[in-house]
Amino acid sequence: MGAADKSGDLVQGTLDMLVLKTLARGAMHGYGITEFIQSTSNDVLRVEEGALYPALHRLELRGLLASEWGVSENNRRAKYYRLTGAGRKQLAAESERWNRMTAAIALVMDTA
Amino acid sequence: MRERVSAFWLRLKSLVLRRKLESDLDEELAFHLAMLAEKRGADARRQFGNATNLRERCRDLWTFAFLETLWRDLHYAIRALARTPAFTMVAVVSLALGIGANTAIFSLMDVMLLRPLPVKDPQALVEFVRADADGSQMTNLPYPVYDYFRRDRGSLADVLAIASSSAAFQDQGSSQPAAAHEVSGSFFPSLGVSPLMGRTIGPDDDRAGAANRVAVISYAFWARRFGRDPSILGSAMRRSGERFTIIGIMPPSFFGLDRGAAPDLWVPLATDPDPGEVWVLGRLRPGVSVEGARVQLEPVFRQALESMRGELAEYAERERNSFLSQRLLVNPATEGTSGIRWTYWDHLSTLKTLIGLSGLVLLIACANLANLLMARSAARSREIAIRIALGAGRWRLVRQLLTENLTVSLAGGSLGVLAAGWGHRLLLGFLVRDPSGVALDFELNYRVMTFALMLSAATGLLFGLMPAIRATRADVYGAIRSGTGQKSAWNILLAKGVLAVQIALSMVLLLGAGLFARSLRNLGAADLGLTREHLLLMDVRPAARSPQARQQFWTDLTGRVSALPGVRSMALAGDAVFGNGGWNQTVWIARPGQAPLDTHVSENRVGPGFFATAGIPLLAGREFGEQDRANSPLVALVNRSFARRFFGNENPLGKHFGDRGQASSGRYEIVGVVGDAKYGSVREKPRAMVFHPIEQEPPLDSCVLHVRTVSEPAALVPAIRRETQAIDGDALISDVRTLPQIVRGQLRQDRMFATLASFFALLALALGAIGIYGIVAYRVAQRTSEIGLRMALGAQQRDVLWLVLRETLTVLGAGAIVGIPAALGVARLAKSMLFGLQPSDPLTVVCATAILFGVGTLAGFLPARRAARLAPTLALRSE
Repeated sequence: MGAADKSGDLVQGTLDMLVLKTLARGAMHGYGITEFIQSTSNDVLRVEEGALYPALHRLELRGLLASEWGVSENNRRAKYYRLTGAGRKQLAAESERWNRMTAAIALVMDTA
Repeated sequence: MRERVSAFWLRLKSLVLRRKLESDLDEELAFHLAMLAEKRGADARRQFGNATNLRERCRDLWTFAFLETLWRDLHYAIRALARTPAFTMVAVVSLALGIGANTAIFSLMDVMLLRPLPVKDPQALVEFVRADADGSQMTNLPYPVYDYFRRDRGSLADVLAIASSSAAFQDQGSSQPAAAHEVSGSFFPSLGVSPLMGRTIGPDDDRAGAANRVAVISYAFWARRFGRDPSILGSAMRRSGERFTIIGIMPPSFFGLDRGAAPDLWVPLATDPDPGEVWVLGRLRPGVSVEGARVQLEPVFRQALESMRGELAEYAERERNSFLSQRLLVNPATEGTSGIRWTYWDHLSTLKTLIGLSGLVLLIACANLANLLMARSAARSREIAIRIALGAGRWRLVRQLLTENLTVSLAGGSLGVLAAGWGHRLLLGFLVRDPSGVALDFELNYRVMTFALMLSAATGLLFGLMPAIRATRADVYGAIRSGTGQKSAWNILLAKGVLAVQIALSMVLLLGAGLFARSLRNLGAADLGLTREHLLLMDVRPAARSPQARQQFWTDLTGRVSALPGVRSMALAGDAVFGNGGWNQTVWIARPGQAPLDTHVSENRVGPGFFATAGIPLLAGREFGEQDRANSPLVALVNRSFARRFFGNENPLGKHFGDRGQASSGRYEIVGVVGDAKYGSVREKPRAMVFHPIEQEPPLDSCVLHVRTVSEPAALVPAIRRETQAIDGDALISDVRTLPQIVRGQLRQDRMFATLASFFALLALALGAIGIYGIVAYRVAQRTSEIGLRMALGAQQRDVLWLVLRETLTVLGAGAIVGIPAALGVARLAKSMLFGLQPSDPLTVVCATAILFGVGTLAGFLPARRAARLAPTLALRSE
């Protein structure tokens, strides 16, 4: 996968997109997001906490996410993030671009 | 857009709720760590990585992103401004003057009208005013009004009375008189002010039979006169020989209730046997409205006036009725007595003119700034275009430019506040005779700061936004490609339009300056009807009480002073020949076969030699002489206006008039007619005046000594003082002045307007010249190849010069076409302030226009000449 290198780190723009996509399923806390991405990608994509939390806060600052405190599945206080309207729009735009890009890359790779 | 707003709020929140955000972050991370530990066991902590780094990165997100760009913009702005010092200086200095002038005037208004008195609960203070049927208002109330109010207080918690002492005070070893206010015993307790040292005057001191006469002195007087020597407590001041013990010294912040007239000392009102008229103030009881107090006190006020009916017996019926029908007004006195407002702002036009002048300067500075900024962004259009091409957002660029413009205007504003402090004192110097005696300090309070800040921000935003938006609309492709890159960026028509407006505004200032200057000259040179040079005036008051002793004093004084070397002639008079204008008096003029005519005239009592000393010519009959004594027939002199008005072409000599009712119309015989003079002010119209011989009146307790000297009058003052003290050691000499000094004092405001308007007009001219120079130089650069072509085709230098100058003249012409009618319209508003010329004075209009065109053409000529001297081959190749 082009967006992750060997160690599984993610390029920032891609991380934002993955976070948005993950949250499209519903509100989730930070830990849940890392777990989801990791398990859904069959352990290929591992999200660093050092990248995740600044990304979450940045997205919130841009108005793409909203946050609130809730109670986790094991009864702990946790901060939950969810998509805002703007976030949903942004996700749509980014997925579209991503699909175009991968399709284009695939074309080149297949032809060569 | 909503995204931006929400981010803005979040950031704003982060500024306020910083601690909360941090604890939230800590908790969020702790949760993550706990989840990790639960799932992965002991090595979770290691896996988590550098938590501190993570925290810092999150924190940066919240706060620094915002502040950092601001800081970067500011940094960049300052660097960019430093690169063009000439632009920055012109912009900042012109704005500083505009904002400074407005702030100075605002601070003056603040101190006079807006700032509350530094006393206990100033909101409850009210001032009592009497109003005539014709609407004129006076703050001086007859003493009985205070007396009645004091006894029947009703809605008032306290009643305060203040009178300025008619006699001057003196301390041991000084001949300088001190100004005193006589105050009621309630004054200091009610204002709740404590002394710096000693005690204040209390109700017990304010009794007719008080054992000890006491005085409280002001801090300024203590410092000036006693060098802050604390041991003066308990020493004495004297008033006509009576001792007053100094019992207290007030702190510097206390000036009484009148900011415009801070006295040197306060003494109990009861020490004055005849207070005459007093200012009356009150402190409202809680819950009582100003109107409520008025309604409740009006009947008391009427009773007080009614009680004076007996004293009014000698008044004419009409005057008595108008006195008795006066109404009571109550004004809030939170900011002090309105005395100062009526003294210095009596012509509201003064304030309006000041605001108008400073407003014009600010407008001109703003127009100038707008043009400078437009030119500046034009010059940078290439840089801006490149930044747009590199992906800079337009909003980002506008913000960058706006930061720059705001930096300029705030720098101008800060400098302006400094200038305002200085301007405030300057204005005060013009408005008040003795600024040191006035507690009108410039104080940088929040009102003044807010005013200056708002003004700067408004100019920066209003006049900086448009150029910034224009600049970022640049045609990127064209701008980068073209060498000069300015063609599309600077809308030359708009720039010329703004410049024309600026010139029109300058025209208003120029005409105003011309009118004020010429009016001032007219005033200074006005014919007063008397000889100004070498005339010395001073007030003299003997300590002697008995009429005989006073008479002796005046006789001795006359003898001694006329014998002094250097005295050409001298005369005593009840009132100064110029400056006060004499007392108003009703007279009844005898007319053969008809009832006497009653009318108002002015009156003065003068000694022998008065007219010769003053330089007022005798037109008919004789002056007063030795033969006019107390027991000889009563005589009078009248001036020309009196004779003209009441006798027409008849000979006034031998006619009679009286001043004690109809029956007295035969009392005085007119024995002479003197020329008209101005008695009160330079501006006054000729008025009817009568003069009585001083010897035929009861000896006066004070006189004005008029001395015509051979040379410089000031040199004689010590000798006259010495002679006076030799006759009576306790005699007071005060208010020593010469005629030119009185005139100068009267023309203070006129001089202020002339000076300010001239200064501002010069500034406007300089800014206009800079504007014209800038535009013409730019146009020449832009048209270089065209000019080269024209020259190659045979155009002469003169033709090129004309080609360029024509544009300058168009702008000047447009400015003048708008400016001259505007200036004439504005000048009409100032008509009442002009003397000896009309607002549309043709000479002034022509001169102002000529100066404007002269300076403007010169500013355009310099770059035009450079264009005309271009070598055609060079010019052709320039692009």
